[in-house]
Amino acid sequence: MPVRWSRYNPSYLEPEVKKESHQKPLEELTNEQREQVELKAVRPIKAAPPSLSSSVFSDPMISKFTNMMMKSGNKVLARSLMSQTLEAIKRKQLEKYHKAPENEKETIECNPYVIFHQALKNCQPIIGLSNITKGGKTYQVPVPLTDNRKRFLAMKWLITECRENKHRRTLMPEKLSQELLLAFNNEGPVIKRKHVLHKMAEANRAYAHFRWW
Amino acid sequence: MWSRRSLVKPRINRATLRLICTTTAVQRKNVGASGPEKYTEAFIKKQIEEFNLGKRHLANMMGEDPETFTQEDIDRAIAYLFPSGLFNKRARPLMKHPTEVFPEQRKIQWGEDGRPFHFLFYTGKQSYYSLMHETYEKFLNVQKHQDQLTAQDLPVQKEKRNLAGSRWLTKIELEEMLLEQVSDDDYSRFIQLLQKLVALPCADIEEKYIQKFSKELPVQLQKVVIEPLQHDERGVAFSTGEGKRKTARATAVVYDNGTGKITVNGIDILHYFPVLQDREQLLFPFQFLGRIGKHDMVCTVSGGGRSAQAGAIRLASAKALRSFVTEKEVEFMRQAGLLTVDPRVKERKKPGQEGSRRKFTWKKR
Repeated sequence: MPVRWSRYNPSYLEPEVKKESHQKPLEELTNEQREQVELKAVRPIKAAPPSLSSSVFSDPMISKFTNMMMKSGNKVLARSLMSQTLEAIKRKQLEKYHKAPENEKETIECNPYVIFHQALKNCQPIIGLSNITKGGKTYQVPVPLTDNRKRFLAMKWLITECRENKHRRTLMPEKLSQELLLAFNNEGPVIKRKHVLHKMAEANRAYAHFRWW
Repeated sequence: MWSRRSLVKPRINRATLRLICTTTAVQRKNVGASGPEKYTEAFIKKQIEEFNLGKRHLANMMGEDPETFTQEDIDRAIAYLFPSGLFNKRARPLMKHPTEVFPEQRKIQWGEDGRPFHFLFYTGKQSYYSLMHETYEKFLNVQKHQDQLTAQDLPVQKEKRNLAGSRWLTKIELEEMLLEQVSDDDYSRFIQLLQKLVALPCADIEEKYIQKFSKELPVQLQKVVIEPLQHDERGVAFSTGEGKRKTARATAVVYDNGTGKITVNGIDILHYFPVLQDREQLLFPFQFLGRIGKHDMVCTVSGGGRSAQAGAIRLASAKALRSFVTEKEVEFMRQAGLLTVDPRVKERKKPGQEGSRRKFTWKKR
């Protein structure tokens, strides 16, 4: 039977890479954080993975998205596609910025990271469906989702959308930047998919009591 | 039909005609099921006497004082007198005190009339269940004490015991203590009960009992020795570090008063590591400490792939930087995961499967 195991002893803790968390003086922390600090002084800590770095350019969400876009372990290609996408978003936003009249210039967001985070947030579903078999029949039961699951679903929908519904000649960065900008403004096929899921959950509200967890 | 009792196969050899009889599985004796050999107390005592006598003889042979002959001296003498080229250390000749050689065993648990001494003998795990009973008794004691204090309107102490500096006994240590096998579930139940006991406010009463099952954890930083800075001919301070990741091995020399130039195997990092992620990893320790333009680095690396070499150099440079930096910053580096060797290696391929996890295509027929 396959069991999920890791090469580290279970007593090893996760590494904390950000510089600011180490420079905080002791008085500002709450009691729980103080206990955490004391625990960290005694327990061994795992090595930081190669995708994690303390520089300003490394973002955990972007690395997760890059890993999901990666095919057959080709991280070089996935990372270059990601950077081209961010560049494309920046270019499109700058075009819009320079063409817009003076009073609207402040509302246009040019930072591609902010757009990426906001678009992902807009795509996240609040409630999900799960298959529960009762009395021989399988029902779609509305179920609350954890934060990790929401993020995963948003990223998965974006990637599948970009891979399938595009013209043969368009490249991934262009299509992805298009989708991200639409999602940022709460439009586009991914947001529609999220709304469809919400409507299905609302329709199957009667079966909500089948859930036992 | 073939008789299932025994199969006699005559094998025609040039020299002789040998009859080889084989038995079926039913009649084969299972040597392992009879359990480990039992030693009597008299046997162990005799072994200890023989060991002490042998120790004195050995000391005389080596020309040393029999009174002050330690275990290390014994090991050295045996390695000298009986040199062995065997790779497995446990297969080499050994002379140790009998308590280390023969594992501790339980004495017979029943008297002459066949009646067992312990009232929980027939549960099969008498020590474990008696331990659970004892711990729960202490738990009820503490609760009674707490109720007494609240009845008398006295304040209940709420000082939390510092859990960070100690750990519970591991399963193996518990097995050694109880001298019987403890399953994973039983062990986790016992630890949960201990945690519940410690969580009560008046648990200080049973502090002595709890200390039997907890061990001190030393602060991690004290285990590592930080080497002092060395100086080369021009007077520039430098320090070396070694790192490894998967199959890659790297050594790094970090010089002070530098411009931030990094050379790998004689080649500049821009040419050796064309991928941005690897260069980010190389600069990670410097960026974390805020010393990007201040140090020069010369490294050599071999083995592994592109990412493994970058990880190995990162570890080597972090170890070298420890000598330039205060102890607090070394602790921050450790908590950022820069100073741990990454133990992840490629998982082996198993027989009956295509890879380490992937199974062969399942065909119904």
